Amino acid sequence: MLKRLLRAVQAGSLLFGTFFIIGLSTSARAQDMDMHAGHNMDAPVMRGDSVLWRMPPMDMSMPMLPGMDTEVPITAAYLPGAGLDPMSVPEAKPFEILDVDDGDTIHLQAGLVRRQIGAQTLVMMGYNGQYPGPLLRVSRGANINVHFVNAIDQPTTVHWHGLRLDDYRFDGIPGISQAPVESGESFLYKLNFPDEGLYWYHPHMREDVQQDLGLYGNMLVNPISADFYAPVNREQTLVLDDILIDANGIIPYGKSAPTHALMGRFGNVMLTNGVTDFSMDVKRGEVVRFFLTNVANSRTFNVVFGGNPIKVVASDISRYEEEMSVSSVVIAPAERYIVDVLFDEPGEVTITNTVQAINHFRGEFYPSVQALATVRVDDTPADVSHAAAFEELRTNEEVIADIDSFRPYFDKAPDKELELTVRVNNLPLPVMRMMEIDTLYVPPIEWNDAMPMMNWVSTGEQVEWLLREKDTGRESMDINWTFQKDDVVKVRIFNSPRSFHPMNHPIHFHGQRFLVTHIDGVENPNMAWKDTAIVPVGSTVDFLVHMSNPGKWMAHCHIAEHLHAGMMLSFEVTD
Amino acid sequence: MSCVDVDPDPPVYYAIDLVPTRKVPGARMAEGQGDVTFATSPFGVSISENGQYVYNLSVAMKNVTLKEGKALDVWVTTPNLDQVKHLGRLDEAFRTVGSVDWNKFLVVVTLESATADPGSTWTGPIVARGMSRSGLMHTMAGHGPFQSEPCAVYGYR
Repeated sequence: MLKRLLRAVQAGSLLFGTFFIIGLSTSARAQDMDMHAGHNMDAPVMRGDSVLWRMPPMDMSMPMLPGMDTEVPITAAYLPGAGLDPMSVPEAKPFEILDVDDGDTIHLQAGLVRRQIGAQTLVMMGYNGQYPGPLLRVSRGANINVHFVNAIDQPTTVHWHGLRLDDYRFDGIPGISQAPVESGESFLYKLNFPDEGLYWYHPHMREDVQQDLGLYGNMLVNPISADFYAPVNREQTLVLDDILIDANGIIPYGKSAPTHALMGRFGNVMLTNGVTDFSMDVKRGEVVRFFLTNVANSRTFNVVFGGNPIKVVASDISRYEEEMSVSSVVIAPAERYIVDVLFDEPGEVTITNTVQAINHFRGEFYPSVQALATVRVDDTPADVSHAAAFEELRTNEEVIADIDSFRPYFDKAPDKELELTVRVNNLPLPVMRMMEIDTLYVPPIEWNDAMPMMNWVSTGEQVEWLLREKDTGRESMDINWTFQKDDVVKVRIFNSPRSFHPMNHPIHFHGQRFLVTHIDGVENPNMAWKDTAIVPVGSTVDFLVHMSNPGKWMAHCHIAEHLHAGMMLSFEVTD
Repeated sequence: MSCVDVDPDPPVYYAIDLVPTRKVPGARMAEGQGDVTFATSPFGVSISENGQYVYNLSVAMKNVTLKEGKALDVWVTTPNLDQVKHLGRLDEAFRTVGSVDWNKFLVVVTLESATADPGSTWTGPIVARGMSRSGLMHTMAGHGPFQSEPCAVYGYR
């Protein structure tokens, strides 16, 4: 009865208006006890040629929101490779390191691969048949070419995240810097590497699908100077991801628009370097340099190294002014951190994502810990001890000197002001009602998908995430800023807590570098050059952007579903 | 959805309204507020090893007249009062700043002796109290759209 009533309302045949209350007689409350039954939780992947929706895995002790028991996303279900025999596609291999010299041309191909995730054999995607894609290792200042071939069944591009490219036409933004690379076609990217550090590459079309299925890889730009970083015993990249699967495989994606448009698609299985059980061996007393990249669609990680001491060395585009000791590493989608960790006790260390998740139904926080990787520390002492260098927190005078020339701009009035908010249309009525209650408290960061059903059924056709300019009221792609080369622009971004669904947003500027100078009016005492930074709910963050590169660029939220629900703007830097 | 003015100060959304008890002479008309900002962190947000937010909590009171030898102490406590921490003593401008890293917490302002060191918990009368924004989160069992969900099933009485 309630279901029919709600459908009638949604169809517009019964009531109009923005909000109303439905009452039920006590007798009408007798309904199916299994409120999850309508979502085909155990449905096959396909029927005939069609991919079927089935409900993502969720906490079954949480009652279904009344009226949601047969809701599914309004877009058709879609799963690349559905219907293919996994054995008919090549098996993916662990990533290889490609040492690329100045002037070299490498080959990069996006294609379908066969992956083993836990006990399941899945059809996914990979660059050069690898997971993650090959690690490109270059020297600072190098120029290389990448001959890219699209062998997936969707158009795609490659974005070289964080690189301040000389030529924006190789930035991989469809419609701004290049045309989409259609299936079967190729494109030659010309890349340059002006800054040391850790970068990554990924598609810039339907990242919610392509990146989620495995299209990502790192680029490591080696410094010229030998003592750029402190000495360590070994180095290891850790690419952090999650994927949403159930017993029948990957939960389908939306065909014409992303699902999970409200909160982004959180996975329920953690992947580190593409596997669920990544491990490494070290000797007692070794210092390991970890290069962390968050490639998840939406999840922000709080990475803990089993209580071992951590030193933060660098972030996206530079080292910090001063190295710091921390107890964990908070990393939002698309961010990178370079950290040193000392393992001075033998045994097994589990690297975890340790957060305080929220159960909105119970109104409680609860500790949530997921294993990301294992470090086995052998009792054999390290060949060389770098413990003393680890203890030293270095001051990076070069970085300070570079930032010094920007300090006069720290307290300038903002040149641009943006509000982060959302507009929704035609979401299921129970979702609309529930959000009225749910937003009594919104955390600064959403660490978990606290509303999996409501999130799943929200699509990019119903949810429009907005970057709204304060002065003009213009929104998202209606904004097209123009700057001169080497302008220093303060962009103040306020994440409105009063929107329909407030959420943290990792904001990424293409082609430039920025400093986070203030958060909520508090000056940042220790900076690194960034290309992506978190704007927590309710907070105001000042980005001081160095417009160093001419061209046509974008800024956007790096939650894949938010990007494809409109949360992006364009800007041009003229020479 | 209207455009909200940008406020470069501590986020208004998480501000803690300190409500006076009106029982303490000289503080019956007291007003106060707690503001949270993230503790210094290289990651923008400050998170503990256990995943809890680490805040700098700034507390300010006004409309208070203190008798000679008296001071206002600020405490933070978990909602069920099983842990109490002294945040700080209000200065001459009736302000103090301290650190808190609990998921939900109460702020309690009490009248204490100005000459005694604060102990492990308050001894004087409560002047004002407030709750972190997260304290507004409450079980939905038995309420709103979940009114037919029996509270007892979920461990609530």
